[in-house]
Amino acid sequence: MRALVASTNVLLGLVYTSYGVMTIVDLKRGWRSSGISHFGLAWIAMAFTCGPHHLEHGVHVAMHRDGAPLDLFAVAVGLPAGIVWFFLRVEALAGGRGDRFVAGTPRWVSALPVAAGVYLVVLLSAAGRVVADSSEFGPRLVPNLLLLGLYMQIGYYLLRTQLQNRGPLGGWSVSGLSLTLVFPTCGLMHSVYVLYASTLRYSVEWHGLVIDWLAVPAAVYFVWVVRGLCLGTRTDWNLGAQGVQTANLAVA
Amino acid sequence: MECSPNPVCTAQVGSSHRLGKVAVRAPDELTIAAVAWLRVGIAVGAAAAGSIPADLSGRHTLLFVLIGLVWVPWSVLVLFASERPGTWVRWGAPTGDLAVLFAVQALAPGGSEAVLAGYVVVIAFAAATAGRAVAGALAGAAIALSILAHSLADQPDRLNPAVLVLFVVATAAIVLLIDRTSSLHARATARAAHLQSTADAVLAHIADGVVVTDPAGAVLACNPASERILGLPAAALVGQSCAAALDLHIEQRALDCSDGCRLLTEPSATDASLGHEVWRAAGSRRQPLLANVTPIRGDDGAVVEVVHSLRDITRLKQSEEAKTLFLATASHELKTPLTVIRGFVETLLKEPLDEGGRQLALDAVHRRAIELSSIVDRLLLSSRIEAGRVELTLTVVDVVEILEERVLALAAARERVVDLHVEPGVGLVHGDAAALATVFEHLIDNAIKYSPEGGPITVDARGGERTRVVVSDRGIGMDAEELALCFDKFWQAESTDVRRFGGTGIGLYIVRSLVEAMNGRLTARSSPGAGSSFTVELLSAGTTPDAGDERAPGTGESTMIREFMRQIGVPEREAP
Repeated sequence: MRALVASTNVLLGLVYTSYGVMTIVDLKRGWRSSGISHFGLAWIAMAFTCGPHHLEHGVHVAMHRDGAPLDLFAVAVGLPAGIVWFFLRVEALAGGRGDRFVAGTPRWVSALPVAAGVYLVVLLSAAGRVVADSSEFGPRLVPNLLLLGLYMQIGYYLLRTQLQNRGPLGGWSVSGLSLTLVFPTCGLMHSVYVLYASTLRYSVEWHGLVIDWLAVPAAVYFVWVVRGLCLGTRTDWNLGAQGVQTANLAVA
Repeated sequence: MECSPNPVCTAQVGSSHRLGKVAVRAPDELTIAAVAWLRVGIAVGAAAAGSIPADLSGRHTLLFVLIGLVWVPWSVLVLFASERPGTWVRWGAPTGDLAVLFAVQALAPGGSEAVLAGYVVVIAFAAATAGRAVAGALAGAAIALSILAHSLADQPDRLNPAVLVLFVVATAAIVLLIDRTSSLHARATARAAHLQSTADAVLAHIADGVVVTDPAGAVLACNPASERILGLPAAALVGQSCAAALDLHIEQRALDCSDGCRLLTEPSATDASLGHEVWRAAGSRRQPLLANVTPIRGDDGAVVEVVHSLRDITRLKQSEEAKTLFLATASHELKTPLTVIRGFVETLLKEPLDEGGRQLALDAVHRRAIELSSIVDRLLLSSRIEAGRVELTLTVVDVVEILEERVLALAAARERVVDLHVEPGVGLVHGDAAALATVFEHLIDNAIKYSPEGGPITVDARGGERTRVVVSDRGIGMDAEELALCFDKFWQAESTDVRRFGGTGIGLYIVRSLVEAMNGRLTARSSPGAGSSFTVELLSAGTTPDAGDERAPGTGESTMIREFMRQIGVPEREAP
């Protein structure tokens, strides 16, 4: 159990940190023509706090913590989704499509809400049993609960977009679906951490505490940027390309 | 655009600054946003500080958990709401701060003096952003809460009564002072800001170009519409002489405004209130304008500025010409088959024909009736498109099947060779079968019509995420100006010689409307004498519409940032 929890967390940590590196490459490529992207900066800040959180957690589990089953359960959904998105982004970075389209709503997509419901029920039931043994809750666990709320908010934005796009596209974007799964599961992983820490199974140490407290303003900044972009109170790289002929003409 | 009370967004007419589509925020909104960020920072910092001590007392643990789980989310909520601060943010944010300060005072009474200073800061901020009533209510609440916390505290932790009195006096004084200052400032600026923003909003959004010159004809200011009409940025217009910037002509005569605006004295050919019909050279063509001028006089009655209003009537003129041309063309197109039908019918009625002659006459009548019906169908379809009454059913259709059927039919009907090349993999697209048949029929028919010398007509279908069908000919072709107009209604290549090719000039208008309605794209390339090619791009079945179009600005590649923006629902916006 310990080895599984440690290795999956280390893997997730590497994947999430890689998102940050890829975004830095994006920023470097685009900033000359489009300026700095707050969205990109916020996403880098998130990736470089989320990734190290998992790395740190994985290393600590490998070294001296007891890997716990709920931890593995929580990561079991986030890991494949995170890796799918990772490979799609690698493909895009290499000049490929970076997405796959699923026409219509196949059975496996229809089953996702049910699977999510089952996942939540199992997680909450197991969490309830853990909470019964809870003996200590203090300020050091607060950042993880704040991150749960913030990541759920981001997950909500993503899910809303996927549902809105379904009609016009006539199907689903694999990139969007995988990204939609990443954030809520990430939030739930933080809540699992709180559960185990409150039962003293996990001890809160300085490395994780600092990373988690840094993750809070990073996530706030990210949601603030997204809200502003959606409301139109600020613009970013979502500005239309300059100089593109919108008339359907191409002068020979 | 949220401009009205906002002096920051009132772009000066004539400055090179263009009003964008993104709201510019008023100073007090910026203050609210900055304070919202400050609040989040303090709240997160305070909550994080609670993580440092290893052994907190029960009350302190409760305090820091409250800060972390109540004040931090509250401050984040206020931060998000401050993007568009409404009334509740203005009073809700300081109210929350007061509640937190009271919690600190109640759970950690040792720091009451610092809490009192915090109350004063919060109330001062509320007085500046929410007004006297809210600040007064908050001040009353702060005083009551301080007294309550004072009475609840243990004797050693209680405040010195003198400090409490000082706090009450200082709070009242600050509220009154800030409110008075704010009222005077607000009253003085509100009217000016309102007038300025109204004028700017009108100038920024009217379709007519407005150019202000001094009496000597130097351009002082212009609005965005004038930049659009004159095709020059404000920076290039301001400071120029009227003759250089506007270069207006009446009939064949250039207006000489060196000794005052000529339009002020020029008699109008039409109703004077409608202005003067003038023109200016825009590249190789004449740009017709309707110009109106108004002098602005100073206290001494002398003209100090002249306001020029310019309306581009190019489209109006083109529309008039096109409609005249259309009437002539349509009359001719309708009359030709009708004349033939009439002639044959009269022959059939008057003269006894043998079976062969009778059949010949009926075939001719039949062909011409079909032609007539086709012309009327096009006209009706054009009207329905214009009225938005064409409803397409987008399904997955086999584009190759439609192409083969249309190519065969048109090649046979027009007795021309049309080469169809289909790449492997081309097949299903998202579209409406009937509309696609109409689109390809029009394009192939045009290619045949405008290749009078019998040049080759080719239709190439290429696959990929977007299916591209290219219809090419080596006919008369079009120059750049004609190409820019070819999708306009009633426009025809070689329109001065419509009889040469016939047609009503609405085919490409119909084609473009239908293609765009199917989420496709129609592009054209052409050179005079070298022929034309029209490319219809349609979404291939089984691909995502934007998969091939996601491009990072300036890089030409799909990126992490833009992909994430797309997936999280950030809308694309136009550059200001």
